Amino acid sequence: MSEDRNEVQDLVVRARAGEADAFEALYRAYQGGIYTFIWSQVREPELAADLTQDTFVRAWESLPRLRQAGAFRGWLYRIARNLVRDEVRSGHARLETVASALAGDGDPGLHEPAAESDGPEDVLVTKEMKGEVWRALESLTPEQREAVVMHHMQGMGTSEIAKVMGVRPGTVMSRLARARDALRKQLSGYVERSDEGMRTHTR
Amino acid sequence: MKECELIRDRLAEYAVGGLRGRMRKRVEAHVGACSDCRAELTALERTGVLLDSVGAQEAPTETWEAVRLRISERPRARVRARMRWGWAMGAVALVALVLAVFLARPPAAQEPVVVIAVEADEEMQATMDGHLSAVWAAPLSDVAGVGLRMATLENGG
Repeated sequence: MSEDRNEVQDLVVRARAGEADAFEALYRAYQGGIYTFIWSQVREPELAADLTQDTFVRAWESLPRLRQAGAFRGWLYRIARNLVRDEVRSGHARLETVASALAGDGDPGLHEPAAESDGPEDVLVTKEMKGEVWRALESLTPEQREAVVMHHMQGMGTSEIAKVMGVRPGTVMSRLARARDALRKQLSGYVERSDEGMRTHTR
Repeated sequence: MKECELIRDRLAEYAVGGLRGRMRKRVEAHVGACSDCRAELTALERTGVLLDSVGAQEAPTETWEAVRLRISERPRARVRARMRWGWAMGAVALVALVLAVFLARPPAAQEPVVVIAVEADEEMQATMDGHLSAVWAAPLSDVAGVGLRMATLENGG
């Protein structure tokens, strides 16, 4: 969906005019990303699912006020971010720990296929590695985690992320750099070079 | 070794594409020659590849039906209400603007009277006479004339 900007803009225009079918297509395209973004902050699957639902209801209600159809994705993430902040402020959620969620059945990382090949160096990414990545994300500040999730897991650029977070692109870049440094240390077992070359991981 | 420390501090920034200009070239030159720093950069880049591979996740429950129900029950009620208020406020603002213009005109028409009383010459007198004639013929046809007439009456004319 994100590859075809014209198609998204067309859907946004139609949804803005009141077409529920077009809005459903937008929901299908973005609900996974929004859910992941929210879950990465609140760490409670049921709460994340509820807030995902609230995000799209709020988006539907506010869509007539969105002037630039091309800005839809960032605008949607901003709604989600505000809902998370409101939830945290009200004391119903926290932004810190991940370990308890990972120990339960609700880990979204465990819904993925067991393994896949990715990246220029054919890193074999296992379910276990994904769990480790989510645990490592716990070491980041909420702002760094937001930037990492939007950039690496949703493919958003620094300018778009900056608009969501209400900061300058340079600040986003700086958060990504500090996060990368911290995660490199947390994930050293997976990313450091061994004598025989890159470490290979199997299931 | 000192150069290694300096470069290590900037490697993550380089890895995320945040370095420009001379510093970027300096990092590139150093990692080209230093195997330890090159290995560190590789680890940082592999961390990025690993993060890219995690991707978006699926929600544990299907929520579209719930969303569809909620938006069909209250389809943009708040937005419509705000739009109606917008029109109402616009209409009030327009009426207020018209009233303000109307009420502001008499003082503007009276101002020349003060000047005329001091500096009236033959040409100005002719202008004044023209306005006064128009007011006598049709009292509301010439606003400047009305002001002029009122001022004349106040001055005993």
